[in-house]
Amino acid sequence: MDALLNSLTTELRRGTLTLAVLSQLQTPQYGYSLVQLLEKSGISIDQSTLYPLLRRLEKQELVTSSWDTSESRPRRYYVLSEYGIKIFHQLKKEWEKTSEELYNLLKGEE
Amino acid sequence: MNLIELYIQEVTRRLTEKNREDIALELRSTIEDMLPEDYSDQNVKAVLSKLGNPAVLAGGYSDRPMHLIGPCYYDVYISLLKMILPIAIAISTIPLVVDSILSYNGDQVFLEVLLSFLGEGIWNVFSTGIQVFFWLTLVFALLERTDHGKITVPITAGFKEWTPDDLKDIPYIPKEKAISKMNVFGGLLWTAIWVTFYFNAARLLGIYEKGEHGLEFIAPTFNHEVLLSYWPIVVIVIGLEVALTIYKWITAQWTIRVAWLNAIFQIVSSIAIIVIFSDTNLLNPEFIEYLNKLFSFSFDLKSKIMLGVMIICVFFAALDTYQGFRKARIHSEKNNTVNRHM
Repeated sequence: MDALLNSLTTELRRGTLTLAVLSQLQTPQYGYSLVQLLEKSGISIDQSTLYPLLRRLEKQELVTSSWDTSESRPRRYYVLSEYGIKIFHQLKKEWEKTSEELYNLLKGEE
Repeated sequence: MNLIELYIQEVTRRLTEKNREDIALELRSTIEDMLPEDYSDQNVKAVLSKLGNPAVLAGGYSDRPMHLIGPCYYDVYISLLKMILPIAIAISTIPLVVDSILSYNGDQVFLEVLLSFLGEGIWNVFSTGIQVFFWLTLVFALLERTDHGKITVPITAGFKEWTPDDLKDIPYIPKEKAISKMNVFGGLLWTAIWVTFYFNAARLLGIYEKGEHGLEFIAPTFNHEVLLSYWPIVVIVIGLEVALTIYKWITAQWTIRVAWLNAIFQIVSSIAIIVIFSDTNLLNPEFIEYLNKLFSFSFDLKSKIMLGVMIICVFFAALDTYQGFRKARIHSEKNNTVNRHM
């Protein structure tokens, strides 16, 4: 029962992960700062999923990355590209629509 | 080496050469970010357990799928396997049957030859199966790795996306009406066996007796020259039987035409049997003498055997013909059944 609920919850959240990450990359972030930002908003993300996800987003040209070597530790910063910003806004609208639809649907159930 | 370096190595060794350095650098910086200022081994272990299994992390970075054959190809793969496997086994077994009967030179004991053939046959089926399985799996595993995400939905046997029009190509065949591949294969195998026995009856068919060296061949059943003199009839029967079997394979179900062809074949082969077994010189006198001695019959054994064979053969021919027509009459409709229920 619990295992099933867990897997269903993970599945439900998986799709929203990309949107959550894109939303936080409007300003440049490196891996761990992104984790902290997301956790502050209550979104816990499996780190073994997050780092590969960043690479994939870069390959899809939604984000660009650069190494910052000015500090003691070199860090790789990610930020939305122009194309990424466009996609992010469309995806956001899509999410708002979906969550509203679902909200109405679930309200009707009560 | 410390745990962090070992972890990074475990991840990067699974990646392609060009990404290794970059990802290693980023991973190291991330891990250090996650650690407190003065860290212990305990802290490192906690951080690494958050990052999880290196194989899974590497799998996330990699573009290659972490499965051999994914859902897009799985169904086609299984259908092709089911289609090719029996054909390959049939094609590789028939020559083996013919070869092992022909290479029988009369010196060996028949039962031993049969057993060694069975052993070879099982091995042959096994190795052919493994070969087909290996090559087909290899092809699909390569396909899975080369399509680069172009195919996103499961495909059909035509290597295209499914559409409702595909249903038109599916014939609706009731189970009893269908002619299975096993049936066809069995038919061809049977033809190969009886033909080989016909032409080698002198050293294969007859009375065996337990002797010093296992089974010994005492007397052949048939007068070989008389039996072989009927070869033109036999060749006609062989031709008809092979043609009928191939035709059954193509149609894959009993139709009125298949039933008629089957009837013609049964009539021709019954006539052949009657003609051959009407020859009073067919049976070897030694064979009859041996049986008479063994059971001490008071009646004319030879004519009884001849008549018995004829009656049994004609009976089974008639039964098979009847079954053919019965199966052909089973109603089969294309798709109409589906429509009616909707």
